[in-house]
Amino acid sequence: MVFLFYLLSAVMVISGLFVVFSRSPINSVLSLIVCFIAMAGHYILLNSQFLAVVHLIVYTGAIMVLFLFVIMLLNLNRATIPQKTSMTRVAAVVAGGLFFLVMVAATRLTFEIHPRYPFSSKIGLVSEVGKALFHEFLLPFEVSSVLFISAMIGAMIFGKKDKESLPQPPPKEGA
Amino acid sequence: MSAFIFTVVLGIIVLYLGFSKNKSILSPISAGGLVVSLVLSLKDWGHQSKYFHDMILIDNFSIAFNVSMIIITILIFLFALDYYETMENHVAELYALMIFGLTGTFLMTSFSNLIMLFLGIEILSIPLYILAGGKKYSYRSNEASFKYFIMGSFATAIFLFGIALVYGASATFYLPEIKTFIAQFNGHLPPMLLVGLLFIVIGVAFKIAAAPFHFWSPDVYEGAPTLVTAFMATVVKTAGFAAFYRLLGIGLLPLPVQIEKALWVMTFLTLLIGNLGALRQSNFKRLLAYSAIAHSGFLMLAVLSQHESSASVLLYYTFVYSLATIPLFIIFILAKRASDGLEEILIFRGLYKEKSWIAIFAIINLMSLAGIPPTSGFMAKYQVLFLAINKGILLTSIFAIVMAIIGVYYYFFVIREIFTERGQTTTKMEVTKLNAALIIICSIGVLATGIFMWQIPI
Repeated sequence: MVFLFYLLSAVMVISGLFVVFSRSPINSVLSLIVCFIAMAGHYILLNSQFLAVVHLIVYTGAIMVLFLFVIMLLNLNRATIPQKTSMTRVAAVVAGGLFFLVMVAATRLTFEIHPRYPFSSKIGLVSEVGKALFHEFLLPFEVSSVLFISAMIGAMIFGKKDKESLPQPPPKEGA
Repeated sequence: MSAFIFTVVLGIIVLYLGFSKNKSILSPISAGGLVVSLVLSLKDWGHQSKYFHDMILIDNFSIAFNVSMIIITILIFLFALDYYETMENHVAELYALMIFGLTGTFLMTSFSNLIMLFLGIEILSIPLYILAGGKKYSYRSNEASFKYFIMGSFATAIFLFGIALVYGASATFYLPEIKTFIAQFNGHLPPMLLVGLLFIVIGVAFKIAAAPFHFWSPDVYEGAPTLVTAFMATVVKTAGFAAFYRLLGIGLLPLPVQIEKALWVMTFLTLLIGNLGALRQSNFKRLLAYSAIAHSGFLMLAVLSQHESSASVLLYYTFVYSLATIPLFIIFILAKRASDGLEEILIFRGLYKEKSWIAIFAIINLMSLAGIPPTSGFMAKYQVLFLAINKGILLTSIFAIVMAIIGVYYYFFVIREIFTERGQTTTKMEVTKLNAALIIICSIGVLATGIFMWQIPI
């Protein structure tokens, strides 16, 4: 178990570094997928199978594939990083350093966290999640359908091509 | 609860009505359906009932706010009949989205669990992102929708992070339990809980456009279709403050000192930025956006007074503010049509000469927003300041009074335009009977509540 934990953590850290440092967006996204899979492994180690499966389906399955599609469709594969002036570099270093400082201070304060209830190894099992979802959290579960129907209406409104009022093509430069 | 379910079903029915080609039935059916949910809401008056494992708690507070928001939405729907007349596509969807947004506000007024607050805010926000982009081929509308979506999602993420931190510290989403958990620390809260609470407050403050989280509001108000702007300025603001008060009222009162300090700074900034920002605006919608921010400052002062009657003052203030804002938007649209789609304040020039009765109603509503007696805007501001001074909050009250006086200037800027002579003749302003009736009803409501009804008991 401990060995697996360290293995997965190492994979996560290394792939995370790859995400940040690789020049090509495609490589970034692929390393992010590796990072997410390792994270799903962590969830399984914590005995939460449901979370692991959802994580695999939603993040690695749906969202990252969407990322890949966007990158391929927009043809962002070339490393087109705009040149930054030294001013922005300095500003970024100062801002990042300050944020780091705040984070370190915050973690120092909150380092000791006492759990209110003892850890139960059953909590992430599929059946337990299902019981919580259909018993205590029934209303939020059902009400979120209103949320999804509005989102679907929005996708339909924005995605559908209207017959009468076709978009005006933007004026071409130099024409 | 029955009102909530009925309103969701109404939204779906209106969605299906889009199949019929007759657009003019949409507005009466939506408004009529909302009258039914108004009656259903009022039936629960006086009973306090909890539903679904205490997820929501329907009491007089939530019913009063729901009824106020339903009334305002009905007025907006009646205006929509004229507004959407020339629009060809997706009209039913826009009505349905507004109804779904309204159901989200019901959850925001009646939650007693942080999950429900989150869902309420999201059910309100997602239709708003779509509605703000309702004019698909207008770049301004696209910009408004995209900006609102990006910044709104960011605020939602912070809000959700706050909920996660509070859950991590207290192991519960249920507000009364969080309250007892906070009480046991005697003011020395663990940092995780404190940061969580702060993030939750930030998430709600974004929705009510309190400074320094107000940057989205002028751009979005300006770019969104005017009807949606009216919806945002009235219903969304009311819902945001109801949620804010409920969060603090049943969840956190008495406020932890650090959170209270943060909220005071926010109130101060909101009053300052709202009023000073409005001085430099020449676009009427942007002016109303800054005016909405300024009013948020007053409402936050009412929330922070932490008095038993804060809720009733909030209800009165939001209701009369909405009542005065809707006719102004209607008049704005009429003037915009008469001047080829301009949105500047200049379009009101010569309004008194051309249609003096509309000009008088516009002046009444502007006076109400500025807070001049005998309109209800004065009574609302008076009650807020009365509450605050009663609680011994002197400095901020004086500051708020100064800011209110500054506010008079930019509202009277519009009134000055109304009386200024217009050189060239322009196209005639056309007013349908329904719009005229709406303007008259709202304005009389503003006057009547100012003269006869000084508070709404909850």
